[in-house]
Amino acid sequence: MIWLYLHFRHLLLDHVARSRQDPSPLAVLSHGTRQVIQACPRARQLGVHPGTALKTALNLAPELVMVHADDTRQAGILEQQAHWLYRYMDRITLYPPDGLLAEAGSVQRLYDGLEPLQKQLQQALEERQLNASLTTGPTPLSARLLARAGMQCCTGETSQMHRQLEALPLPHAGFDDRTLQRLTRLGLTTLGQVFHLPAVELARRLTPETLAYVQRLQGQRPDPQTSWRPPHYFRQRADFGLPVEKAQGLLFALQRMLSELESDLQWRQQDTDSLLLILHHYRREPSRLRVRTTGPEHRAEAFINLLRIRLEQHPLQAPVETLELKVTRFLDRQATSHTDLLGETTDQGEAWHTLVSRLQARLGESALQHLAPAADHRPERAWSARSLTAGPHHHSKGSDQLPLRPLWLLPQPTPLEATPEAWLGGPERISGGWWDGARVLRDYYIARLPSGQLAWVYRDDQQSWFVHGWFG
Amino acid sequence: MNYAELHCFSNFTFLTGASHPHELAERALALGYRALAITDACSVAGIPRACQALKGSPVALITGSYFQLEPTTPDMTPARVILLARTRLGYSQLCRLITTARRRAPKGRYQLLPEDLENHALDHCLCLWLPPAPEQAGFANARRTGEWLLGLFPERLWLAASRTLASGEEQTIQRIRALSLQLERPVVATGNVHMHCRQRQPLQDVLTAIRHNTCLEQAGHHLFQNGERYLRPLPVLKRLFPEAWLEETLIIADQCGFRPSELRYEYPSELVPPGKTPASWLQELTRQGEQRRFPAGTPLPVQALIRKELALIHEMQYEHYFLTIHDIVSFARSQGILCQGRGSAANSAVCYCLGITEVDPRQVELLFERFISKDRGEPPDIDVDFEHERREEVIQYIYQRYGRERAALAATVIRYRPRSAIRDVGKALGFDPAQVEQLLNGIDWRDRETDWRGQILDKGLTRHERVANQFFTLVNTLLGFPRHLSQHVGGFVIGSGPLADLVPTENAAMKDRTVIQWDKDDLESLGLMKVDVLALGMLTAIRKALALIPGENGQPLTLQEIPREDDETYGMLQTGDSIGVFQVESRAQINMLPRLKPEKFYDLVIEVAIVRPGPIQGDMVHPYLKRKHGLEEVSYPNEEVRGVLERTLGVPIFQEQVIKLAMVAAGFTAGEADRLRRAMAAWKSHGDLTPFRDKLINGMLAKGHSEDFAERLYQQICGFGGYGFPESHSASFALLVYVSAWLKRHHPAAFYCGLLNSQPMGFYSPSQLIQDARRHDVVVLPADVNHSQWDYTLEGPQQHLRVGLRQIKGLNRQSAEALCQQRPSGGYRNIRELRQLTALPQRDLELLAGANALETISGHRHQSYWQLLGHEAAAPLWVSDTDDDPGYLAEGDNTDLPAPSEGQNILADFASQGLSLQRHPMALLREQGQLRNCLNAEQLKTAEPNRPVQVAGLVTGRQRPGSASGVTFVTLEDEFGNINVVVWLNTARQQRKPLLTSRLLHVKGIVEREGDIVHVMAGKLTDLSHLISTLPVGSRDFQ
Repeated sequence: MIWLYLHFRHLLLDHVARSRQDPSPLAVLSHGTRQVIQACPRARQLGVHPGTALKTALNLAPELVMVHADDTRQAGILEQQAHWLYRYMDRITLYPPDGLLAEAGSVQRLYDGLEPLQKQLQQALEERQLNASLTTGPTPLSARLLARAGMQCCTGETSQMHRQLEALPLPHAGFDDRTLQRLTRLGLTTLGQVFHLPAVELARRLTPETLAYVQRLQGQRPDPQTSWRPPHYFRQRADFGLPVEKAQGLLFALQRMLSELESDLQWRQQDTDSLLLILHHYRREPSRLRVRTTGPEHRAEAFINLLRIRLEQHPLQAPVETLELKVTRFLDRQATSHTDLLGETTDQGEAWHTLVSRLQARLGESALQHLAPAADHRPERAWSARSLTAGPHHHSKGSDQLPLRPLWLLPQPTPLEATPEAWLGGPERISGGWWDGARVLRDYYIARLPSGQLAWVYRDDQQSWFVHGWFG
Repeated sequence: MNYAELHCFSNFTFLTGASHPHELAERALALGYRALAITDACSVAGIPRACQALKGSPVALITGSYFQLEPTTPDMTPARVILLARTRLGYSQLCRLITTARRRAPKGRYQLLPEDLENHALDHCLCLWLPPAPEQAGFANARRTGEWLLGLFPERLWLAASRTLASGEEQTIQRIRALSLQLERPVVATGNVHMHCRQRQPLQDVLTAIRHNTCLEQAGHHLFQNGERYLRPLPVLKRLFPEAWLEETLIIADQCGFRPSELRYEYPSELVPPGKTPASWLQELTRQGEQRRFPAGTPLPVQALIRKELALIHEMQYEHYFLTIHDIVSFARSQGILCQGRGSAANSAVCYCLGITEVDPRQVELLFERFISKDRGEPPDIDVDFEHERREEVIQYIYQRYGRERAALAATVIRYRPRSAIRDVGKALGFDPAQVEQLLNGIDWRDRETDWRGQILDKGLTRHERVANQFFTLVNTLLGFPRHLSQHVGGFVIGSGPLADLVPTENAAMKDRTVIQWDKDDLESLGLMKVDVLALGMLTAIRKALALIPGENGQPLTLQEIPREDDETYGMLQTGDSIGVFQVESRAQINMLPRLKPEKFYDLVIEVAIVRPGPIQGDMVHPYLKRKHGLEEVSYPNEEVRGVLERTLGVPIFQEQVIKLAMVAAGFTAGEADRLRRAMAAWKSHGDLTPFRDKLINGMLAKGHSEDFAERLYQQICGFGGYGFPESHSASFALLVYVSAWLKRHHPAAFYCGLLNSQPMGFYSPSQLIQDARRHDVVVLPADVNHSQWDYTLEGPQQHLRVGLRQIKGLNRQSAEALCQQRPSGGYRNIRELRQLTALPQRDLELLAGANALETISGHRHQSYWQLLGHEAAAPLWVSDTDDDPGYLAEGDNTDLPAPSEGQNILADFASQGLSLQRHPMALLREQGQLRNCLNAEQLKTAEPNRPVQVAGLVTGRQRPGSASGVTFVTLEDEFGNINVVVWLNTARQQRKPLLTSRLLHVKGIVEREGDIVHVMAGKLTDLSHLISTLPVGSRDFQ
């Protein structure tokens, strides 16, 4: 068997870079150690390499744009690549965080050999602006090691693969630190030298596990692989190193995502009529845009036109850090109608969900919201409308500890016109919000107005009086 | 109507209180309060500063503390109380309670259990109870707590009511009234004060966000609803509280008669034998010391000096202080621990006789009076340095001599500095942490032209001017705020009675260490005695070197036996040959030595102090050098100035001189000069010297000095800030400079051996020290299982230096010592014997093989290692299907491993020991022809100045000293020595990559020479690091 391994040296970076138009150098930063763990070619030119300390990196490249390492995010991106690779080959194994393994022997005939296959894949990667080294190997492990060592060689020639493997320097051979240290102390420098040690000695003087590893590497021991299966949805993300402030800036990335969608639909031989666009902001609830086409569709061009209009109508609520495109509804191209699962509601608990889903489908997801308290001393910010899909929000106070507030809060405070007849409570002083430009400084009272209404009134720091709400 | 504030947090309730104690004190005074209680959470750390601020003011300072009790059951709302000290005894009771609660919890926290209140005597404390609000606990619950407290504090319990205008406050007040009626105890008005004025609310909010590790936007209900927790004017209070409640504050204040200023410290008394007075005992000890120091009779001038000093000590009643230090130093001496005192009083004739210092009064004419100021009334300051590896013994002795009850380490208050303040405020305002880091990194802290504020503005941290302004204001206010208490480096407080009666103690980060809640400055202001027990690596190295040199009577050489004023020693220092020598081994010092050309002890005193930011920034170095070498006339504007500056040829070098000059040349009073000294010490963190500038310059102009000189003096004062280097310390250090230099000159093998056995310490790595040793003709032998000890040793009459097993990274010390003990007289013959006799763990054996220490018994390192691995305890049986050879238990097999190449050996040596006795990697590269046209360090010494050259070497140092504007100094190492490269700012900016990342650097530049000092002014830098991997080895990293 021949295995093909794709090693993505800086997947997260490529992923961020292709959504950006600005060519500043990029680096991915580890969380704890403040070290660079991935550096784009431009950053490397400036001397920033994996392992460089943040401080040094910034001295070398003051304009460096930093992306925080995020394993789950990278795992998601890797899965996207598996999705793509699945069009070419079917026995794929994920090697998170940065590799994909595929069995190449059985498909090479389809592509007239391995080299044409490699060319085709490389070209596709280039179009998708991703960097990967592609290497074949006689065993899964050997393909992985050679690819990670940066060899770019696709061949079916077993002898050639073995030669390469033997020449592999030990630090690239994937041994654990202790084993590597021991082998180095024995004066060994290449994998070939390890292969030449008597197996029994290797097991005895190193560990049996070391021998087992070497044997798996050489194919003398089985090394079963778990195949990956594509999920039944399409999902793409675009991450911007610096937040995008204008809708126009999203289109660039969208274009790429939609053409991926088109290829995906082509490959599935399906259409869709519903796209979900999720815009992630810094420290804010993400905005969700649901776009429906009038009929089944698969052309990127059709989608982009729709989205352009949609984005023009709805200005961005906040700068966008990440853009996510999701499609979960697939329609067979010939299919005339789809079974409506929602029509067969049987129990009470689902009735609510059905109602919500129907209303959402009819009105758009963002049109339907529910109320929740928010942790802020300013009354106008002490509540929020949340989308139903957002999970319950953590709140620092229990509901019995919430301050006394009228149920009816006016959207805007209105000037108090009549002199109250009686003062029933207060003053309660609220000052805060100096940090976000909406500073308040108010003394609140409960007052009965001549009309008999029970009002929540306040005096601001200009000594003017306002009604802010009504008690029942 | 009047008022006493009885509930007030200062910023010593860390990340909660938003005002300094002195701000609160000053504000209370301005508002006309009758009294102010500082009630930090389980702490009295803020008291000394408030006390200082209220000295002589009509506002009475009350000492108290706030506590939140641990709930007895999880669902119960924790009770909150304030305890106030009514009397001196009450203060002790409070301290003991705080100590209990603090000692129970990890560093920085406290845990007070209800039974603590029951078990501790608190009859001299008053209790203010803060009853829970209705939403926190039911009425019955609250009442039970109140009854319990009433049982503990009958007639001494009050219910505290505060008005912060928060929602639901009316209900709480109603409840307090009800509880008051039922418990029959009065209600007292309190402010729940967190800041001295309302304008601090933003900072208080920021502190809250930092405390909860969140940003303001997310802090929500953690923040207070408003900014009412400040010291409010009397009319406002009158509106908010019933008259009786306000009246009650005064009743309580009147009951609290204790004032922190009445705390009296008593020296430990046991050091004086019965029947003697402290003065007569000190005199007697001094006389004994005289006989030891001056066997031939004390010279008359010294006698006079001793009389004068003793009289002054007696007048100031400092005998106990000197006796205490003498006691500690005597202990050290009895244990053979080397020590040396320094500081204002250390270099006196009395201290010389008492053995506290080795600086001979005949050698340096130091006037004792200069160091003890009669006017200041502060305790004298003596720091004693001990061998760093044995300081712990001294600390244990102090604990044992005085008991843990009576001796404790002082705290150091860790305060906000620009970096930490920017980081924390940035986080609270919700800036991206990575961006804040980027910003911090972009700031040049040494750029004196534009301070960091300007730099941040230039960088465009935020587009919103409002946010930027808030940011600066907050950072500025936060600067200097205490963050937490830490352990002082070695300041001990020793009392005559239990310290717990004087100040609470709490846990330090280090296990089994406790610190008191006051720091050095607090101790000073309360007149407490502190003894500094410090650690110094060079003393360890000197003692270890001395032990290797036979003295007169066959015993090891002693410090006293080292001949003074040895010309050869000075000759060596004059050439800048000072690697390993105390204090003068840095690059800057090595360059200064040939210029200053020290030829007597006092020159060393100056040498130690002159390469410091103070003199450099004050531009005093060149004038001094010119005058020293007779190129400039030595003159004085008047006799007074001559008195101050004569010993440094009219150029101020030391901190004391600068202070003294401010007095004689600018007319400062003693008090003003003292304030200047304090401001200088604090300048770096939060002080401001500008108030002194005008006074200094005008004063000097008025007395006829030139404006230029005045301005330079001011610059020097700024430079001294934070790094002040006084003559009194310099003199003690100079002695160690001389001793270590003498050892290097006359007993190099012992000198390096001592240094290497005291690592880690000093400027240079063992590798650099060994290279230097070899350049001084010391033969160095490799680590060897049959010859090495744990430490480096000297072998044979030739005094060859044998590398010790301690150099092998990761090797267990016990294993190594067992190996040396079990070693047969003929040495181990093979690995089997080694294993049988020592039972060393496999890991340690592998480390020995990796260090090539087994070469003599089992062949080269690869083969040794292979043999070792074969012995490992049998792994779980594992049947191989490829090999059925049954001989796997045999010791040897036929596997032949490749012998290591020279390059492999070098790298393996570095990996295992951080040094190699093989050829220098640069020599190999040169041999391979990689470095054609490059001069080596030896050739460079004789290179013609102002000519282009090429050099290359391993980068061992990159420095950007604050005193050299924008210049980077790079040190390159080759097989002949070090090469100094100077990179100007522009060159550095254009060639960042090679400058910052090269491990092996090639430099094209111009030779510059001044006397014996040679520099290469860098032009083109090239990274040659890849050549390291062309050494015939694999691709492992070098170093």
